Amino acid sequence: MVSVAKAEPKIIIDHLSVRYEDDGTESLRDIHFDIPANAITALFGPAGGGKSTLLRTLNRLNDMVDVSVSGSVLLDGVDIFSSNIDIVTLRRRVGIVFAQPIPLPFSISKNISYGLELAGESRRSRLDDAVESSLRAAALWEEVKDRLGDPAIALSGGQQQRLCIARVLALEPEVLMLDEPTSGLDPISTAKVEASLQMLKRDYTVVIAPSSIQQTARVADWAAFMLQGELVEWNKGEELFSTPRDQKTEDYITGRFG
Amino acid sequence: MSLSRYQTERIAFLTIGVATLLTVAPIIIVVGAIFVSGAEAISWEFIAEMPRDGMRAGGIWPAIVGTAYLVMGTGLISVPLGLGAAIYLSEYARESAWTRAIRVAIVNLAGIPSVVYGLFGLGLFVLFMKLGSSIIAACLTLSIMTLPVIISTAEGALRSVPQSFRVVSIGMGGTRWQTIRRIVLPQAMPGILTGVILGLERAAGETAPILFTGAAFFLPRLPNSVFDQTMALPYHLFVISTQIPGMPVQIQYGTASVLLVFVLAMNILAASVRSWQRRKRQW
Repeated sequence: MVSVAKAEPKIIIDHLSVRYEDDGTESLRDIHFDIPANAITALFGPAGGGKSTLLRTLNRLNDMVDVSVSGSVLLDGVDIFSSNIDIVTLRRRVGIVFAQPIPLPFSISKNISYGLELAGESRRSRLDDAVESSLRAAALWEEVKDRLGDPAIALSGGQQQRLCIARVLALEPEVLMLDEPTSGLDPISTAKVEASLQMLKRDYTVVIAPSSIQQTARVADWAAFMLQGELVEWNKGEELFSTPRDQKTEDYITGRFG
Repeated sequence: MSLSRYQTERIAFLTIGVATLLTVAPIIIVVGAIFVSGAEAISWEFIAEMPRDGMRAGGIWPAIVGTAYLVMGTGLISVPLGLGAAIYLSEYARESAWTRAIRVAIVNLAGIPSVVYGLFGLGLFVLFMKLGSSIIAACLTLSIMTLPVIISTAEGALRSVPQSFRVVSIGMGGTRWQTIRRIVLPQAMPGILTGVILGLERAAGETAPILFTGAAFFLPRLPNSVFDQTMALPYHLFVISTQIPGMPVQIQYGTASVLLVFVLAMNILAASVRSWQRRKRQW
């Protein structure tokens, strides 16, 4: 594979395979590509291709279920599977937003400050600052600033999803992963989330599993096409969509299957 | 002959209504009869004084205090143990032959007759561990009886907390314990409290487990330490109902009324704590 990125990539995925032990299914087979810093990398492909598994592997959330992993994932050159990595720190550095917005059973502001409190931050002023700045970054502040004490569950679906993004941003991660963050959202909310992604990539490395091919084409600086647990093609977004090298990629993006 | 569906509906409703009435009626009748017959015995003196004349007069204060001690002691032992076991089973243990064996053991423990607990307590705590017939031995015995109730209801309450909350919390860099303490336990608390109160209610009302392990037939003073014997309401009720000739009947009913109020008060406490927790909860 040709390396086009100038700087050292943020994440290097090297011959990564993941197998679910409970039913013996292999979810990822020999995945091999780079995730450059300060860019949006989109993982796309039909359902069941292993996008969510890959995201949940990158911050080792899959440790919660029985998986066996081979290969390596280097984050800033350090293998995240090596025994001396601190898994709690890893998850703060590599934050994840899920497809379903899951507000924690707290108030809006407590949802944001929760992660910082876990890390030991107890100063009220710091927490309040983080609540405001991350809600602003997720384009939610104006809508909720007068009711920060309300239960988060009372927000609309689009607001909840932006709350979940803000919640991860409050931790100041280095990598922001989003698993179909706009799947349940209306077009206006989707546009808001996509616009905030464009701002966020200045400060973060963004990895997204978009909800559609169209969204992939809109947001992807880099795109990785995944099919049934394998990486079919990885390239700059524009090039992959204008001149796909693999027939399967071309068939998928032109709507012949999927 | 075939019935119209409206007739079927009416018959079904009637049957269900009668079944409900038959379930509730005995409770009301029994409780009502006890309170009515016991009412004339209830007085300040009856509650707050020592028994006199071979328990045929005076009050039942030492039995009330003794039952309170037993319930508190049992709670102090069984709540931390039971909650710990429930957290282990629900949050840490992976499904295995080992955890299945534990669950089977818990279910079976819950089905053991209480007199067997009493004999077990006599053998282990009173004789083998040489605690003697004492409050501590009775509390330990009651704890073993209470634990299955607490463990299984607490485990159920913990499991009913959505898994997604745990994934989110751990995904945000929380440790397992932080996740349990800050999210899972508070969410499960109403259910856990229900189990605790149910278990302790049983402890308050049982006679057999304390019969050989710590209950005193007659002790006209309050216990001085956990190694003292104590009077207790259910055993006292058993004693005055069967062991003492010439016992005034209203004292028996009065004692039963006090025991019922005791258990009822725990129920009301549980219900109000639950609804208070629910109002605090934000989802």
